[in-house]
Amino acid sequence: MNAPVKTPEERKADLQGMGDSRLRKEDARFIQGKGQYCDDIKLPGMLHMDIVRSPVAHGRIKRINKEEALAIPGVHAVLTADDLKPLNLHWMPTLAGDVAAVLADEKVHFQMQEVAIVIADDRYIAADAIEAVEVEYEELPVVIDPYAALEPDAPVLREDLQGKTEGAHGPRDHHNHIFTWEAGDKTAADAAFDHAPVTVSQHMHYPRVHPCPLETCGCVASFDPIKGELTTWMTSQAPHVVRTVVSMLSGVPESKVRIISPDIGGGFGNKVGIYPGYVCAIVASIVLGRPVKWSEDRVENISSTAFARDYHMDGHLAATEDGKILGLKVDVIADHGAFDACADPTKFPAGLFHICSGSYDIPAAHCSVKGVYTNKAPGGVAYRCSFRVTEAVYLIERMVDVLAQKLNMDKAEIRRKNFIRKDQFPYNSAFGFEYDSGDYHTALEKVLDAVDYKALRAEQEQKRADPNCPTLMGIGLVTFTEVVGAGPSKTCDILGVGMFDSCEIRIHPTGSAIARMGTITQGQGHQTTYAQIIASELGIPSEVIQVEEGDTSTAPYGLGTYGSRSTPVAGAAIAMAARKIHAKAKKIAAHLLEVSEADLDWEVDRFKVRGNDEQFKTMADVAFAAYQQPPEGLEPGLEAVHYYDPPNFTYPFGIYLCVVDIDKGTGESSIRRFYALDDCGTRINPMIIDGQIHGGLTEGFAVAMGQQMPFDEQGNLLGNTLMDYFLPTAVETPTWETDYTVTPSPHHPIGAKGVAESPHVGSIPTFTSAVVDAFAHLGVTHIDMPHTSYRIWKKLKEEGVQL
Amino acid sequence: MEVKLEKRYELGVPAQHAWAILSDLESVASCMPGASLGEKTGDNAFKGSVKVKVGPATAQFGGEVEILSMDAANHSLILKGKGADKGGSSASMELEASIEEADGQSVLVGLATVVVNGKFAQFGGRMMVQVSDVILKQFVDNFIGKAQALGEAPARDGEESSDKPAVQTASEPANELNGLAIFWALIKSWLGGLFGKKSAG
Repeated sequence: MNAPVKTPEERKADLQGMGDSRLRKEDARFIQGKGQYCDDIKLPGMLHMDIVRSPVAHGRIKRINKEEALAIPGVHAVLTADDLKPLNLHWMPTLAGDVAAVLADEKVHFQMQEVAIVIADDRYIAADAIEAVEVEYEELPVVIDPYAALEPDAPVLREDLQGKTEGAHGPRDHHNHIFTWEAGDKTAADAAFDHAPVTVSQHMHYPRVHPCPLETCGCVASFDPIKGELTTWMTSQAPHVVRTVVSMLSGVPESKVRIISPDIGGGFGNKVGIYPGYVCAIVASIVLGRPVKWSEDRVENISSTAFARDYHMDGHLAATEDGKILGLKVDVIADHGAFDACADPTKFPAGLFHICSGSYDIPAAHCSVKGVYTNKAPGGVAYRCSFRVTEAVYLIERMVDVLAQKLNMDKAEIRRKNFIRKDQFPYNSAFGFEYDSGDYHTALEKVLDAVDYKALRAEQEQKRADPNCPTLMGIGLVTFTEVVGAGPSKTCDILGVGMFDSCEIRIHPTGSAIARMGTITQGQGHQTTYAQIIASELGIPSEVIQVEEGDTSTAPYGLGTYGSRSTPVAGAAIAMAARKIHAKAKKIAAHLLEVSEADLDWEVDRFKVRGNDEQFKTMADVAFAAYQQPPEGLEPGLEAVHYYDPPNFTYPFGIYLCVVDIDKGTGESSIRRFYALDDCGTRINPMIIDGQIHGGLTEGFAVAMGQQMPFDEQGNLLGNTLMDYFLPTAVETPTWETDYTVTPSPHHPIGAKGVAESPHVGSIPTFTSAVVDAFAHLGVTHIDMPHTSYRIWKKLKEEGVQL
Repeated sequence: MEVKLEKRYELGVPAQHAWAILSDLESVASCMPGASLGEKTGDNAFKGSVKVKVGPATAQFGGEVEILSMDAANHSLILKGKGADKGGSSASMELEASIEEADGQSVLVGLATVVVNGKFAQFGGRMMVQVSDVILKQFVDNFIGKAQALGEAPARDGEESSDKPAVQTASEPANELNGLAIFWALIKSWLGGLFGKKSAG
């Protein structure tokens, strides 16, 4: 009996391709606790490593005594910088062109810096043994404030760089100066300010925060002394780059280095860098000839692995009296900590901060970022954002609010007036970016209508007029544009490797497929969404498409997952590889159907002879034929590899609105409403997009309302446990409302722009905008994050707000 | 993390007895819960240690204590102590202590600058003032005990020369700083504050 014939629409639905809210393939194992993370890996004969860390933030190491630790039964080795020196591994290059100590060499530069490692039979012995390593320090003056670091008589932090007047990014003019990087046209910006009727300035600090993924960093290094092969399982967002670096550092040929990123419990930028722990575990495995595991604890993770932000920014806007922006100037002091270990494309020491002209048509702009050493942990990664875009968006969105306040204009009105119009795309910004597509006006009106903005403003006015109202009401509005998908290799590289990404697809004879990628999922759901792109391109059901990532021995070379680059770059590579297969499949189909290729039409999952619905070959038919009877002159098999070098970045955008009610007596704030409209171009899986947005908004809420890494004068980090460092749970997290518009990217094969970081980037200034708005009638133009109840309470007192 | 503590304790003992204890480093050390003095490393310097016990965990701070100056005429001294434990904490303290006389009563006056680094600062920073208060209270109680004993001792045994303080007769304080006891004292003072505030409001 024949099966009922399905319509093209039904067949399309069966594929679960692009646009389908297909359930995440990863979740079956995660919700059953069957994920395989680094710490789940147990190898025969495996030893454990723990790290002796410095209690002081700046000091000279006078003496290290290992004897007592070595005497503990089960301890195999205690290594210090002196032991790594003969291998030239006591220092390592950073991604930013600086060097960082692997184990402190004569001096410690920040609290919790790695000083020595202990290798022992188990984690418990290792933990006991690190306490038995005696280290004597001579304390040195500590520099925490980056402005103080630039004083002429400030202590010299990096003695290893003394006398070096040239850094990786140009001249250094002070012993604690790393680089000064500029973008835009200073002369034009100055001229705009000289003649402007209105100017505003605002200083703001974007505090140091930590991405704090649920899984901390770690690795299992296993060197096989007989084969000379090094296999390392590692919590890395960029395993291929790690392989290259490990090969360069260790001298093991890259063909004998295998890096595997297993399941990763969140990265958010924290797992891009190469940390001393990884290097030490690898060295220890090579030296001892046994596998060595290293797993950080939470305190170590927050204290010593890559932080984000810590930008002290001065913004200036010039405008006409009716609110048209004429010029933007920005000066930043960037606190990079003890070593410049930022993870940015090589040519951009301040990342893509020069996206700071935002969604606005600003004719003249200039920015200058000065990187500074202090006695804090190194890092400066993009915490769920694309290379300093969060800082840039925060700066411009705050400044536009400040200007609106000065002119007594509405926040929405000033944005309408300055938006890049739809017909201006592709738009060249004063900083040199070519914005691909956007429709800001439509999106803004959609949000204002959805929340009834006018009614909210009326309610606010009424509450301000009522002295008995127990709350201050604030309305935050942010209209941001991101730059993601790094990036075109003509401008973007990491350690000289262009920031392309890659995909290899193999179609098996029976019509199922496997795709291998240069990226690595950390919760984004790649195994689900990548399959959907292939399903739509090739007519193979998502369900039979396997996606593999993270093993450098099987996957093609790629730069990894961060900066919202997976969909813009790797997603494009998938589509392009699939199209190569499609082209070959069409030849095979024409051969099977004995017609010319020009007579074939593609419909969902099959090639049809034009005008004859009965004459067709499905992709599964073609796949079998590719292995059985390929046409003469065509090689057998059905697979393709594509390395995609994007012609441009993509520019997702969003309109976010937040209503906050602040208790006048206690300073407690309640997020009454948060409305997030995102435009990420073509939407691959709406359910996953919603999940990404919920996650990003929640992390944005965390940063804006509570996360901070406070240091005291001695350089003690006073917030490195989850008791102090704010990770919101369901209890604190507000309810999110999401919405979207679709403005595809014209240069991307499927029009997708990337989404996971937009909600983080966009929401943070929205919360600040709302909190400041609650105080705006008192003349307050800016309040630094985090907006904790205590800090808001202090502000209430400062402003004389009475209950 | 730096904390400055300024304290005055009425002792209820004659000033010269109080000074006899204060000017003798070993006596002072024996008043400090958990503290002990080790070998002499200089004219006015000793090795020393402080043991803190919190539940099953014991931390031992080892370091040096030195008397920087002593002014017998004014009953005042300045001493500096510093130490580190093996778990990644270090601490230092500079203390100016003196015995003042007011209305025939002696008062112990202390001005201490305490700097703590590492885990103690990270985990315990915000509790430092409260914990210090509790420890100092125990210290002063022991101190008074010793000074009182000094007054009583000659009466019980007239043969004993009074130039040597009879510190041995005082009840020996516990030889470790008990975290549980500190915790309990903190809870009590916190509860006291809570109810105090409520009744006042």
